[in-house]
Amino acid sequence: MDNKKILVIEDEVSLQKSLSEFLEEENFEVISALDGEKGLAMAQEEKPDLILLDIILPKKDGYEVLAELKQSEQTKRIPVILLTNLEGPEDIEKAFENGASTYLVKSNYKLEDIVKKIKSTLKM
Amino acid sequence: MRIINDLNIKKQAEELGVSVWQTPSFLFMLMGLITIIAMTATFYISRNYDNPSILVIAECVVVVTIFSIGNSVIQEIEQMARVNKMKTEFVFVASHQLRTPLSAILWEIELLIKKRGGGLNEKQLESLNSISLLSGRMARLVSDLLDVARIDQGKLTLKKDKIDLFAIVDEITKTLSPLIQSKNLQVVFKKCRSKCLILGDAEKLGLAVENLISNALKYSNNKGKIEIKIKKDGKDLIFSIQDNGVGIPASQQKMVFNKFFRSDNVVKYQTEGTGLGLYIAKNIVEQSGGKIWFQSKENIGTTFSFSLPAVS
Repeated sequence: MDNKKILVIEDEVSLQKSLSEFLEEENFEVISALDGEKGLAMAQEEKPDLILLDIILPKKDGYEVLAELKQSEQTKRIPVILLTNLEGPEDIEKAFENGASTYLVKSNYKLEDIVKKIKSTLKM
Repeated sequence: MRIINDLNIKKQAEELGVSVWQTPSFLFMLMGLITIIAMTATFYISRNYDNPSILVIAECVVVVTIFSIGNSVIQEIEQMARVNKMKTEFVFVASHQLRTPLSAILWEIELLIKKRGGGLNEKQLESLNSISLLSGRMARLVSDLLDVARIDQGKLTLKKDKIDLFAIVDEITKTLSPLIQSKNLQVVFKKCRSKCLILGDAEKLGLAVENLISNALKYSNNKGKIEIKIKKDGKDLIFSIQDNGVGIPASQQKMVFNKFFRSDNVVKYQTEGTGLGLYIAKNIVEQSGGKIWFQSKENIGTTFSFSLPAVS
């Protein structure tokens, strides 16, 4: 069985490392990017099964990345889980308007709960 | 100075953090007084002096005075609004900034315990669990502070969905079951026969309910009994939770819904809680169209209740 591929777009190195390592231990294949532009390029090149996207990112912020992902034929079907520490209702609304599948606040979610969300989004 | 107290100027001064002479109410009163004096003076001047130019000069002086005072009042109010906005913005920014290192700590520890924990002895794991719990508390405090900042700015937006209050209470009780079991508490549930539907925000009301239930658990002694009731009362649904725990001292009861209030009667070993829970819960319930109240007697127990308009 092929392992599911997950793209992590997160600019905070320590968060990205913990997330990637935990996901790999859970038998996911993980690729990662530290900024929005690189993340977009990787999504188009590698076609992951799911994308974990931060909002505050250098070069292109999460909303721009989300919008472009949903506009491109190659990437618009990939489910995107927004993983962020912003929590304003305006932020949440904007996220869903731009096509996010789920919106999770990092400091309120354990890694194992994020994995549960990923598995339920991918219907595993 | 009884007038000052009667008009709640003192309370306003306290709330806004300025001296009595700087409160908008006082300044408006002063402006009103000056207007009356000015009009009276103008009347007498016009009666005693037949000269229209003196009248005009007097009028100009009055107008200039009133505009000057009015301007000071407006500037004072603008300044206070600005400072208030800065304080709330600071809370927003600081809270968001705090969340990044907090998430990093929480995830590193989770990774350590769950995936790198081999070779750690029991005491080391205990330390890690402790750090994890405390960091979790910090994360909750940041969430609470953000909620409070939104409430203070009047920006707490609540959804209006048809939700099942029983389902919410049931789920929260299940997540709190470790604490219930560790204290050997007996939880009894009584609900209304029909569906307990209300119009509200499931997440935020869940927060309010979680706060009331976890308070009842925290302030109960071991082997205590907790009774949760949801019943229909006319057009409202009433949720109540009764414990036979330590109760709230009468002298502290009027401060219960204040920010950062923690009762002195905390059961030993309890260090959890931010003191913001009830302030947030009260605001959520009231903004959802309901009321919240409580009854308590020291060493006998406490009953917290809230009502919300029911829907069919």
